[in-house]
Amino acid sequence: MTVNTEPQALISHLPKADGSATFSYAGYTVVGAVNGPIEVQRRDELPEEAAVDVIVRPAAGVGGTRERHLESLIQSTLRQIILVNNFPRTLIQVILQIIVAPENEYVNAKITQASSNLPILPALLQTAILSLLSSTLPLTATLTSTALAIVPDQGGSNIVLNPTAREVEQSQSFHVFAFTSHNELILAESEGSFTMKEWDDVYARAYSQCCPPALSSDNDDAMIDDQRSAGSDLRHFTRSTMEQKIVSDLYWK
Amino acid sequence: MATQPPLTLSSATFAKLSPHPYLLANLQPPDPSTPSSRTNGRQPHQARQPNINTSSLTHAHGSAVVRTGDTTVICGVRGETLLTTNIPNYRSADALNVAGLGASASLGNELRDYDLLVPNIELATGSAPNFLPGVPPTTLAQTLSTRLYSQLHSAGIVDVEGLRIYHTKEDDTLGDDAMEEDGIEEQGGKREVKAFWVLYIDVLFISFDGNPFDAAWAAVLAALRDTKIPQARWDVDQEIVLCSRDNPTPLKIRGLPVACTTAVFTAKERQKKGGGQFWMLVDPDRLEESLCDETVTVMVDRTGGETKILAISKSGGTTVGPELMRKLVSVAEERWNEFKAVLS
Repeated sequence: MTVNTEPQALISHLPKADGSATFSYAGYTVVGAVNGPIEVQRRDELPEEAAVDVIVRPAAGVGGTRERHLESLIQSTLRQIILVNNFPRTLIQVILQIIVAPENEYVNAKITQASSNLPILPALLQTAILSLLSSTLPLTATLTSTALAIVPDQGGSNIVLNPTAREVEQSQSFHVFAFTSHNELILAESEGSFTMKEWDDVYARAYSQCCPPALSSDNDDAMIDDQRSAGSDLRHFTRSTMEQKIVSDLYWK
Repeated sequence: MATQPPLTLSSATFAKLSPHPYLLANLQPPDPSTPSSRTNGRQPHQARQPNINTSSLTHAHGSAVVRTGDTTVICGVRGETLLTTNIPNYRSADALNVAGLGASASLGNELRDYDLLVPNIELATGSAPNFLPGVPPTTLAQTLSTRLYSQLHSAGIVDVEGLRIYHTKEDDTLGDDAMEEDGIEEQGGKREVKAFWVLYIDVLFISFDGNPFDAAWAAVLAALRDTKIPQARWDVDQEIVLCSRDNPTPLKIRGLPVACTTAVFTAKERQKKGGGQFWMLVDPDRLEESLCDETVTVMVDRTGGETKILAISKSGGTTVGPELMRKLVSVAEERWNEFKAVLS
């Protein structure tokens, strides 16, 4: 199994959707499509804001209860970010199709699983954000999300960023955090057994990962070296991806 | 001439017409001498006192009714036997040991690999006005089932040892092809797992007034602690599992995790960027849940003396940061004491 360490994205590659993106990072690849604002079914219509509908489709099989769980988490998060009040009585539909998910080679994979699938949440959120940016819907903020695991390691324990499926299985606890571009915590999901102190440590690590200090032009090199050691700077990645897209779109001018 | 109707609204009408300002007016009374309280009369940090009744269902192996305020949940646990020969890709613990995988790593997953715990949540029609009859399970019901399932496994409260049905072979003349993998085993007795108990954990909401997860979790925990598994043995001649009614063994449950949900109510209905006044409403009811975007669920266990956190789930807003999270964990610790007193 090859795990690409650098995030990759393709923006606005689906011609029929209002916005679309393919995002791959840490072994996951997700295609996202956003349609909106579009007409909403009468029973889902909200008089003062847009209804946000998230559909998560697994790589194999049809969606089950765990996809509903992911959908409800992503829906409540995106609703805070999209300016839903600008589009009353409409629908904003976000479709996320999982293409590749890393497998644990040590166990037989089951297609239908009822347990929650938190490790994929960062990839889904990141794809949703890129798709929303591609659809040019007004947002209050973007977000960056990361997954961490506390893995036992010779007497002590170690915080592992973007853990593999095997590391998640062996971990004492597993955490997903998402931060807005205003450095606020918007989503936190933790499973396993841990103490408040461990949670604080993991939070600090996630914060430094998702909310890096802004890059200034004069000490670029030192900053980039720092981030290389800690993993990829997803916020910077989102920004540079969109900048590149805009530059290529405006080339004809 | 008919009398002029009064221009002021009764509080019930006010609540129906504009629920958000109604709750805000209660939390932020115009007269500073009256303490701020919620529409249900509770203080912001005050949770509803739980009431728990166990063993109320006669045909289940364990059951519990949990009531917190107007949220009432009934949970029944029923065990059914599952033969290992009926499990596709079944690998006995010995075979895994031979393959070089650690016993602890492989055994911990029997519950998950063979789906020995099957929780399901049903939100009964009529338990709340928004649950309509004849519709497929709602997103809420499916989300709750998933959360319950993953918490049951990640909290590790059920010991798989209690769910195994062993058979000790006396002689080796049995020549069963399923026993081939035992050939390498040296220890005497040849005790092997012939079947498992599968626990069907059904949760039904009789009445729904907010905070479904905490109540459902408490009901599942209470029902599992009440569960007694019948004595079962493997009958070699008939090749079936036989159970007896006498001396059922209580299921071994590790720890006592308790979930505590808090909703964040913001003064501004449309959440604007940055700050604003907010209230943490512990154990929200249905009205409060409909008005709050952000909810935080913390699951703690203090049976070992110090607080162990088993899950944190926060979504839907940006109010709660690490400082508030610490406060919510201490709220959950208080909640744990309340449940501990009722459960034991």
